[in-house]
Amino acid sequence: MADLATYLLTGLGLVFFIAGTVGLVRFPDQFSRLHALTKGDNLGLGFIALGVAFQAESWAQLAMLALIWVLALLAAGTVAQLVARAALTEQDKP
Amino acid sequence: MTVWLHIVAIVLLASLGGALWRVWRGRSQADRMMAAQLIGTSGVAVLIVLAALQDWTLLVVAFALALLAALAAVGFVTSQSPDGAGDPEEAHPPKGWRDRGRNG
Amino acid sequence: MTRVLLTALIHRALLLGGAWLALTSAALEALAPGAVAVAVAVWLSLRLLPPKHPFALWRLARHVPRFVAGSVVGGVDVARRAFSPDMRLNPGWLELPSDLPDGARVALGGELSLMPGTLSAGTEDGKLLVHLLDTDAGFDRAIPREAEEIAAIIGQARSARG
Repeated sequence: MADLATYLLTGLGLVFFIAGTVGLVRFPDQFSRLHALTKGDNLGLGFIALGVAFQAESWAQLAMLALIWVLALLAAGTVAQLVARAALTEQDKP
Repeated sequence: MTVWLHIVAIVLLASLGGALWRVWRGRSQADRMMAAQLIGTSGVAVLIVLAALQDWTLLVVAFALALLAALAAVGFVTSQSPDGAGDPEEAHPPKGWRDRGRNG
Repeated sequence: MTRVLLTALIHRALLLGGAWLALTSAALEALAPGAVAVAVAVWLSLRLLPPKHPFALWRLARHVPRFVAGSVVGGVDVARRAFSPDMRLNPGWLELPSDLPDGARVALGGELSLMPGTLSAGTEDGKLLVHLLDTDAGFDRAIPREAEEIAAIIGQARSARG
């Protein structure tokens, strides 16, 4: 049962990681690419962490996984804004 | 399970490799930074998967990488600000910024 | 000691103490150094980021499920567009007047960046700049409610506005 959840959730995580990468390559402008990266990868990491959590052997490992995911979530939201701002103010290069 | 988790790790590594290429051949500075972020996130994901496969203490490494990836992005953005170390909001968008981010 | 400072102290001590316990698997021999480390970290965080507003933790906790659900929808939306042949993108900008204080505005921006179709790019002249992935999809309809809930977390009850 736990193994099934791991297969399903990590597989789902991979789909979102690939979607984020595909968006990063395909989307026409910087900001849309940033949407794809931020939302896709973050959800991918969340699902992979959740899937691996079903294999964890102790509460400490679960707590570490949760800590990593929360940190990644907060960082993703903040970094997305910072990079968007940098992209907006970046000078045009020939 | 072991085989599947190895496949997951390999696919993640492949996306990481693609991102490395983007850092090298980025369309703009911001695009390169996005690729670097992708490397950070997929690196963390690979480490989480490897932790389940090999040794759970790798979770600490994943945590450290997540922390460093966030700080790397902050470092990049402050280096782009006018005095090289300041608040990114010091820099104002150039004229016509509304047209950026519209199919261009 | 004011009430705002006291609640901030308790929240941060709980947060950092919890992080320490998670990092050390709550090992007994790590508790003593942890007490010192957490005390120093709380002091440093209060110095670097002094609390300015009351903070309702229960409101934040109540807000989390909506945020997680929103970020799942956001990821699914962006994945669908990435895989669809024509992507159906119609990107554009939205300028959002906001009277939230700095920290809360950054929190709102970060949250919007993970919710479906919106991405914040900081402020200009007191307006939050929001990039929309598709200006026709009505992604902006969720924004006032998010702003309102974040204002409520820092004790700024006010009427809904766009």
